[in-house]
Parts: sequence; C-alpha cells; structure tokens
Amino acid sequence: MKRALLALVFLVPAFAVQPDEVMKDPQQEARARTIGKELRCLVCQNESIDESDAPLARDLRLLVRQRIAAGDNDAQVKNYIVARYGTYVLLKPPFDQTWLLWLGPFLLLGAGGIGVLAWYRRRPLETPPLSEAERARLKSLEEGDT
Amino acid sequence: MIAEIGLFALILALLIAAVQSAVPLVGAARGQASWMKLAPSAASAQFGLIALSFAALVWLHVTSDFSVANVVHNSHTDKPLLYKITGVWGNHEGSMLLWVLILAFYGLAVALFGKNLPPALRARVLAVQGMIAFGFLLFILATSNPFERISPPPVNGEGLNPLLQDPGLAFHPPFLYLGYVGFSMAFSFAIAALIEGRVDAAWARWVRPWTLAAWCALTLGIAMGSWWSYYTLGWGGWWAWDPVENASLMPWLAGTALLHSAIVVEKRDTLKGWTIFLAILAFSLSLLGTFLVRSGVLTSVHAFANDPARGKFILALLAIVTGGSLILFAARAGALKAGGIFAPVSRESGLVFNNLFLSCAAGTVLLGTLAPLIADALHLQKLSVGAPWFNLVVPVLLTPMLLVMPLGPLLAWKRGDGIEALKRARFAAVVAAATIIVTLVLTRAVSALPALGLGLAAWLLFGTLTEWTGRVGLFRKPLRQTLAHARHLPRAMHGMALAHIGMAIFLIGVTGSLSWQSEKLLVMHPGQSTTIAGYTVRFVGVEDNARGPNYTADRGLFFAEKDGRTLSVMRPERRLYDNPPEPKSTVAILTNFVSDLYVVLGESDDHGGHVVHIFHNPLVPWIFFGAVVMVLGGLVSLSDRRWRIGAPKKAARFVEVEPAPRREIKIPVGGRYALPALAFLILVGVFFWRLQQTAAGDTPNLIPSVLIDKPAPAFALKPLYPGQPSFATTDLKGRVTLVNFFASWCLPCRAEHPVLRLVQGHGIALVGIAYKDKPDDAQGLLAELGNPYTRVAADADGRTGIDFGVSGVPETYLIDKNGIIRRKVAGPLTEDVLKNDILPLAEKLQ
Repeated sequence: MKRALLALVFLVPAFAVQPDEVMKDPQQEARARTIGKELRCLVCQNESIDESDAPLARDLRLLVRQRIAAGDNDAQVKNYIVARYGTYVLLKPPFDQTWLLWLGPFLLLGAGGIGVLAWYRRRPLETPPLSEAERARLKSLEEGDT
Repeated sequence: MIAEIGLFALILALLIAAVQSAVPLVGAARGQASWMKLAPSAASAQFGLIALSFAALVWLHVTSDFSVANVVHNSHTDKPLLYKITGVWGNHEGSMLLWVLILAFYGLAVALFGKNLPPALRARVLAVQGMIAFGFLLFILATSNPFERISPPPVNGEGLNPLLQDPGLAFHPPFLYLGYVGFSMAFSFAIAALIEGRVDAAWARWVRPWTLAAWCALTLGIAMGSWWSYYTLGWGGWWAWDPVENASLMPWLAGTALLHSAIVVEKRDTLKGWTIFLAILAFSLSLLGTFLVRSGVLTSVHAFANDPARGKFILALLAIVTGGSLILFAARAGALKAGGIFAPVSRESGLVFNNLFLSCAAGTVLLGTLAPLIADALHLQKLSVGAPWFNLVVPVLLTPMLLVMPLGPLLAWKRGDGIEALKRARFAAVVAAATIIVTLVLTRAVSALPALGLGLAAWLLFGTLTEWTGRVGLFRKPLRQTLAHARHLPRAMHGMALAHIGMAIFLIGVTGSLSWQSEKLLVMHPGQSTTIAGYTVRFVGVEDNARGPNYTADRGLFFAEKDGRTLSVMRPERRLYDNPPEPKSTVAILTNFVSDLYVVLGESDDHGGHVVHIFHNPLVPWIFFGAVVMVLGGLVSLSDRRWRIGAPKKAARFVEVEPAPRREIKIPVGGRYALPALAFLILVGVFFWRLQQTAAGDTPNLIPSVLIDKPAPAFALKPLYPGQPSFATTDLKGRVTLVNFFASWCLPCRAEHPVLRLVQGHGIALVGIAYKDKPDDAQGLLAELGNPYTRVAADADGRTGIDFGVSGVPETYLIDKNGIIRRKVAGPLTEDVLKNDILPLAEKLQ
C-alpha cells in the first residue's frame, strides 16, 4: 500500500541557493534570483529552480549565473534555457503562445461585465404587483399574526 | 475489536445517510410530517456514529495499535502524544474521516438549531446533506478504509512525516475542513430552495450565518496553513500559488462573493438566482479542491498519495453533486422571481461589482491552476503556470474591486448618491494620496509597487473608518452619544468594518513582504556576526546531537542584537527524526509584530563553517494579523442579534405544510442558466480524460524535447576510459547513433542495461555518456554489468546533458547520419520501445 502523506512532502526543508553559488556583484545576483524564480525546476513538483534542492536545479542556477557573467541580458538567459528545455520551463508562460491564458481573466471579466449590464437593462424597472397566490398568502399571514 | 467497531459504525452511518437522503425528501414532496421528522433524528444518529468511528481511530492511534495499517503507516510509539492525535488526520484516510465528521456536525447543527425553519425546508436541507454524506462515506468505505488491518502486525510503525509533526497540523486541517464542508450548508439550502422554487429573506437569513461561519473557519484555516509554511519551510515566503493552495483560495473567493450577495437577497430580495449559483459554486470548488489534491491529476508540492482509482471515485462524486445541482439550477433558476429594484448607483450595485470581481478572481485562479492540465490533456503543449503569472494577473484583476470597496458601504440601498459618497471619502483619498507621495519619497521611487499597495491600503482603511465613524457619529456628536450609537448599531455593521480593515492590514503586509524583504546567505563560523536591516546577528555556535523526543538536532545559537543590546537568543535547528529518518529544519523567528527576523541554519562545511540564511521580513506579521482581524469581523457579524433571533417562531408554526406545486422541468438546453452546467460537463470530460492518461502511464511530468528534428547541440566530451577516443559533435556525422545518458548512481539505469545490449548488431553506434558521475564509479558499473557501448564519454559537470535537455537519467537520443536528433526517450528504454520504435526508425535512417 502506498503511503499517504498530507502535505509538503517534496519540500525538503532547506534553502536551495547555496553561498558558493552567489555572484559577487549584488545586482547581478539579484537578477539571477529573479530569473531563477521564473524558471521551473524540471525534476520537481511545481517549484522554481530558485527554491529547489534538486541537483539539476543547482546546475541550472549556476548556468544562469554563468550566462549573466558572460553578459547576457535577462531575456537572453531565459532563451538559453528555453532553447534546451522548451517553454515548459517558464513559470510565466510567453504571451504569444499562451495569449488565451493571459487574456482569459480579462475576457472573463469582460463577459461578466456584459452579462451584468445586460441584466441591468433587461430587468423590470418597477416592482411587479403581487400575484393572486401571493396576495392570498399575505392575507393568511396577516390573519395568522393577529 | 476497536477497529471493527469503528468500521461498523461507519457502515451504519452510510445506511442512515441513505435513509436520510431519501425519506425526508419524499416526505417534503408529499407533505407528510412524520417522514420529514425523520431527518433531524437521522442527522443526529449519523453524527453519533461517525463521531464514534472517529473516536475509534483516535484511540487506535493513541494506543499505537499496529495491527491497523493506517496506524502503522503514520505513527510510531516514540511520537509525542499531540502528534499521535493530530496524525489521525495527517493522512488521506483519516482526513477523509475528519471531513465526514465535520459534515455530520453541520447536519447535527441543523437538527438542533433548525427547529424554527419551515419543516419542508429543513427536511430537504438535511436530505441533501445526507446525500453528500452518503457519497463520501461510500468513498471512504470503498477506497480509503482507515480501519484496514495488517497481518502480521509489525513491531512498530513507520512514523509520521516530520514536516507534519508540528502544532500547525492540530489546527490547520480542521479549520480548513470546517470551511470547505461548511459551504455544504449553503449548498444544501440552495438545492432545497431550487426544489421548492422559492428564495426569500428568511432563506437568506439562514444561509448567511452558516456561510459566514464557514468563511471564518476557511479564512483562519488558510491563514494558518500559510503561517505554518512560513515558519516551517525556511524559504521566507508565505504563499506559492501551488495548485493545492489555489484549491483552498477558489472556494474562499466564491464564498466571499456568496457572503456579500446573500446580503442583497436578505435585505432587498433580489440577486436570488445568482446567490444560489454562488452557493453551488463555493461548495463545488471545495469538492474540486478535494479532487485535485487527492487524485493526482495535478502535480503539487503538497502531495497526498495519488491513486487514479480514488481520483475516478471523487470525480464521479463531483460530477453527480455539481453536475446534478447545476442541471437543477438550469431547470429552476428561471422560476426565481427578482424582488427589489435598485438603481445602477446603489449599495446593491456595489455588491454586484464586488461579486463580479471576486468570481472573476476565482475563475482566474481556476484558469491558472488548470491551464497546464487542460493544455496537456488536449496535447496542445506542455505548459507551466507559476507564481510569476499569478502575482501579475491576480492583483491587476482585484485592484478595481479594492478601489470600490470603501465606497460601496457609503452608498444607500436602492438608490445611492455617488457624488456624495465620493465627497465623504475625500479624507480617505487625501490620506491615500499622501501615503503614495510619502512612500515614493522615502523609497526614492525605486518602484511604484509599494506606494500603490500602501496607498490602496490607506484608501481602504480610512474609507472604511469614514463609513464607521459616520454611522456612530464620532467627531460629530458627544462621546457618550457616540458610544450609545455604537452599542445600538447592528453588530453586522461593526463586523463589516472590522473585516474590511483586516483586508487593509493584509494588503499592507503583502506590500511589505513583496517590496522590502531582504535576505543574507552566507557561511558563518562561530563568533562571527553579520548585519541585516539594522540587526546584528551574532553566531555563537552549534550544539551537536541535541536530543528531542523523537529526533536528534543540530541546534544553532544566535544572538540578535540591535544598537548594542541583545534582544533575543535565536535557536534554529536542523533535525533528523528517528522514524522515518527524515530531516527537517526549524526556523528561529524574532518578531516585533511589525517585522520578522528569520534565521535558518543550513549545512555545515568541513572547516567548522555553517551555511546560514537570514531574512528580514518587514510587515509579514501583518499578513496574518489582517487575516485574524477579518475573521474577528466575521465573528462579530455572526453575533448579530438577528441571527440569534432568526425568523419568528410564531410565523413558522402557522405556515402550513403544503406539497410543493408540481412544476414542469424544462429541458435545460440553450438557456443561459444552462451555461454553467455545460462548462462543467466539459471540465469533467477533461478530468476524466486526464485520469485515463495517468492510469495509462502517460506521466504528467514528461517533458517533450524541443530538439527533435534539430541538430544535436555542439559538444566535445572526454572519454570515460583514458586513452580511448573522445566524443564530439563531429563524430555523429555519417552514422546513425543512439546516445544514452547514464550514471552509476541511477537505479533505473541498471534496469535499462539489459535492453541496451539488444542494440548490438543493427549497425547503430551506441554511445554512452556518464552523466555527472565519477569516472571510477561509472567504470565500476560497466565492469559489473558489462559494457554495451561502442564508445563511452564522460559528462562530468552535466553541461552537455543540459545542452541536450536532459532532466534525469537515463535518457536516450536517436540521432541520424546528419547529426539531427530524431527521437528522445526519457526514462529507461524498454524492449518494447526499442524494438517497435527506435530500431525500425534507425533502419529507415540508415
């Protein structure tokens, strides 16, 4: 029988980035951290390489820093990894391939907004008079109350 | 014996649930009071039986009865008592039992406190609750029996995952489930109302307190989970947009919307169909969360063991509960008459605006969570949607709502005066503008984000305060009169103000955490100190092998100092638990309630140094304070007089029980009320398809190669055996080559090894690349198992592996005569794949 565990199984409690990886230039290091947060660790469950302790994540972190040291800009660094592992590694997927995902929330909002507007226009502007049954019920309630 | 009693009670509860879901419903339809009266008795009996069953499981865990599989897999005699008890729900089976226990508890509450409900409504509500209980009890008994015996019983158990051995486990899941399952009440009331075809103020008066209670529990549950992960995982963060976290956020967003729309139903007798829909949605999203967490359709760091059989069962439950209720909704919602009329500018419209944005936010989280699954199931592409996407989209979507949030309560019901509301909010606007300017100046305008976040929070905070002070007459009337006003103001109004202020505090916390978190990562030797955000952190040393109740720890000792004064001693630990022998680190946090100093102890190096990770997390405590204030607001509102009084009892007695008028059930195709049902049907189809794929072994995490039909990357590798020829890109030309990445540390590589021998004699070059392996080890492996390769190269640092897109060994690439990659096999090559795919293709390429 498989073991059932509640939570957080794969997150070995530690911190991914090790001191020996850190770049000397704090600005470059900050860039590397940001890029690392946007790249998916390939062997983990929904973690970025910045959070993961997997050896491959470490290799990729080092590679990101090498590319930065070599003078790549952020997009070039990311493209370097994407050229090897595909857009799957991008935790923020590229707009041109996933425009439906990016526009989805706003399309939803637009559709909802149109629905609300349509509802405002369609609904009656005055309270409809009581129906026969409602009047009878009102009467019975009034009598019941006394 | 105890286990059998527990199981037997569960089976009895199932039978009672069957009766509870059928008899009262028929009674309500026919107007038979005695049949309807069965419902409360059945609900009480059901609670008693499930409580007995749950008590049995607790007993088994506390007494460490290792003849029961669930105890064996999750407990150990050395485990502290607290974790023996909380470990009951620290696993799939036990947590499902807690789930149905809470469901039965809500049923009991309706039975006990629902005496002044119209009898037919109460009977129907309890019948729907009975149906849900029936489904989940059947699920437990059929797929997840917590009382399963194991023979022969082991001497001791396997222990509980160390990460779960935390007080957080005592509170987080129970509150979370109180929230999830609490939405079943609104759901049952919604279904009962759809059956009756009537929604009125009395109905809303019943639904709102239950929804509010569930919402409070869920808010607290989520906040506790977030706090738990903040102080446990040592990454300094509190929300990762993981699918399982999203699964709790979606019902929260829908439930928050429901909470607000139910006010409109109660006060103004309109938005009925929409409120019913939200009630169905909130509970359905809770169920969807249960499905996502326990079925394995999504990959998440928070993992229950994944079992496709369970997944199909929960999917079936979800399809019946949500699908059934949405079809009922489609058939009946049109019959719900709208009552009160309101102008486009009014309190009602403010709440409609709130609902529009909250439900779109829920939809957005759903979209982001499911997009990878849907794109993959439909074979469109492999896609990742992570924190960077959510962090960009969700705040943009919710900002308009937050902007309107303080204005809504300033508007009158029916017809509000927008200009007057804006005028009254001008003080808040001024404070917000000042906040933005001051923040920009103080931060030297590095980024607009903190200024906008704090400005928004100030607008919300002072806008809400304006409304509240206006109501109680503060600053306008003498204090004594103000106090009297405050006392007579309905508690719900105080509650609303408090909850909205909680939201403002939460926003401040989020802004601080996103904008000003700083961290230091360094190797420290005893005696060294470092500074961060005005603190000096002095590292005294590490006490090795400190014993805890069931673990051994390396306990770090740090002094946190400020202005030459020692503020506190901080003791982060690295623990190794005895059973299971797994590591866990505990974080040391020094808080002054405005910011946290957060110290994590890492590994030690060979020279007495220790890796230390220090965070300064400004305003993060406010994230959790904000949530607590929101919950307090909910509780204050819950204490409102009108919930305690409820609908007048006298009137209830006089309403005679009449059979519900028979209505034609329209076939719900084409109508706008049928849209949710159709959308849901498609979603269920995708889930089912995905489960089929998972069961068929199409693992969700298999990444396709982007290099297929592209030239192999350039490389030049040294030979594994000194003296042999090296291996470079140019060697690929002129011959079909199979490149196999392997390593001695990789067990699947050993399993694959015999298959590689079958490649011989087909005129293909088989090149082995030892991936991130020591030459001695790789040579040892080949000496032991035999060398099937024509040539073996070494990729010591794994760079060539990365160039090929290797994510784990073994991986195999078929490359044609021109050096173009034609196939990639991730994972061990099987005989089947080799003979039916690789070799025929290789022959064609020859």
